[in-house]
Amino acid sequence: MSQNALGAASAAARPKAIRRPLPDWVLALGLMTVVTVVWELVIRLFHVSTFLLPAPSAIIRSLITNWAQLASAAESTALEILLGFVLAAITGIVVALVIVRFERFGRALYPLIVLFQTVPKVALAPIFILWFGFDLAPKVLLIVVIAFFPVAIDMLAGLQSVEPSFVALMQSVSASRTKILLRVRLPHSLPHLMAGLKVAITFSVIGAIVGEFAGANHGLGYLIVFASTQLDTPLIFGALVVISVLGLAFYYVVELAERVLVPWAPKFDAHLRAS
Amino acid sequence: MTAAFSVVHPLQVAKAAATTNTAPAHVDARNIAVDFYLDGGRQRVLQGVNLAVPKGSFVSLIGPSGCGKSTLLKVLAGLITPTEGRVSVDGIAPQEAAKRRIIGLVFQDATLLPWKNAIENAAFLLMTADDAMRKAEAFARAAAMLKLVSLEGAERKMPSQLSGGMRQRVAIARALALDPQVLLMDEPFGALDAITREEMSLCLLDIWQRTEKTVVLVTHSIDEAVFLSREVHVMGSGPAGIIETLPIALPPPRNAESFTDPAFKLTQQRLRGLLIESHQRRPA
Repeated sequence: MSQNALGAASAAARPKAIRRPLPDWVLALGLMTVVTVVWELVIRLFHVSTFLLPAPSAIIRSLITNWAQLASAAESTALEILLGFVLAAITGIVVALVIVRFERFGRALYPLIVLFQTVPKVALAPIFILWFGFDLAPKVLLIVVIAFFPVAIDMLAGLQSVEPSFVALMQSVSASRTKILLRVRLPHSLPHLMAGLKVAITFSVIGAIVGEFAGANHGLGYLIVFASTQLDTPLIFGALVVISVLGLAFYYVVELAERVLVPWAPKFDAHLRAS
Repeated sequence: MTAAFSVVHPLQVAKAAATTNTAPAHVDARNIAVDFYLDGGRQRVLQGVNLAVPKGSFVSLIGPSGCGKSTLLKVLAGLITPTEGRVSVDGIAPQEAAKRRIIGLVFQDATLLPWKNAIENAAFLLMTADDAMRKAEAFARAAAMLKLVSLEGAERKMPSQLSGGMRQRVAIARALALDPQVLLMDEPFGALDAITREEMSLCLLDIWQRTEKTVVLVTHSIDEAVFLSREVHVMGSGPAGIIETLPIALPPPRNAESFTDPAFKLTQQRLRGLLIESHQRRPA
């Protein structure tokens, strides 16, 4: 109330009060709280069975009791995601560089990559299991085939979108293709690369979980399959929460890297948007 | 002073330039023809172009959009090899001249690298052209050129912090840092507002007077062409060529007051007439 009065007073003092927009995270957290509370209420009011849909409180209880198991599973999955993501990033970058540097080979390669992208990668999981067993390798490979594509495509767009007049300028001082690639195209592509990496990291999480579904003896995906055979729905949701947190953490690491490595990249900024 | 150029009919000047077959001018293009291949078809975009720019002169190429002005400039810069004809810059092939840093280029877009600050951008081409050059030396030259374009104090600013005019000044400094003998400019002020354009014209005039470089400027602006040039070449299209060459006789010194000089007005009107004629000749 007093805050309202204060607001009114300052609004009267200035002809038009300029309000600073609330930060995005406050809005997101607020919405999440509302959804959680409504969820809890609906479960309690309509006596929904925990087996069908557990209440948030039941999920939290499961998270606490199964903490050790979840943490160990998260560790395996995180390792898969990290390895797969790094390899996918390297693969994507190399593919893009090869396509740009070796033009004719690139023209041959590009349609094949697009063709490969149309193959549903999830369907490859059983084949990878068949080839490489139940260990780390098939999951990492699955992540690579799922996540390298956005990296390659965005990186390629970045490498190729250097202004033609700048390329002409470089050619006018007889700079070689390699020199133009290294000094201009490569740094120019970095903001695009970071955008591709952000997509790739979320794909990597999906790849790891799908890989574990197809065949594993540890990891969060395995835990979900295991919990479903035990009809332990709160544990399934608990594992989902951990996966989301893991994915979010990875995503923000990439975003942080973007801010540090390519400060000139155009940002999606709340304050700029509001002004 | 108006009589000075009314006695020389522009056509005669054009003919004289075309038939001079002796020692090549500083920038010399003879009987240039350029074909482009579009959708499988062959299209002639330039035909029978002769251009002779004496050392230390300032000439402008003006004409309707798409008439091949930029193409001609690219031919002079060695970026396009003409289908027919010969080009020489400082007596050698333009590609060779570019290699020896005789040619400096400025385009309509400043095309600065967003991850480099003003001085790094100004030094960039120089350091690309000469791997052996030490960074300190390149930076010293870039700093001197930034000073020449009145950007002292903005050396550490990023391109995103500079105005359009300032960015274009950095682009000019970048070209000047090569210490070229010939400056080829493709509508360098085309994307700037009217007042900034005028400022930049004065800046360019100042640079030209101080450095005595040979300048070829492609422009849309009649005022700019008249104010800056010793000679204006009017181009027509379909296929394009130089249809008129107009010598500009403005009383020296040229400065902001030149814009109001009667000779300026007269030349401006004459050029306007030629451009309208050139537009009407365009194929539909």
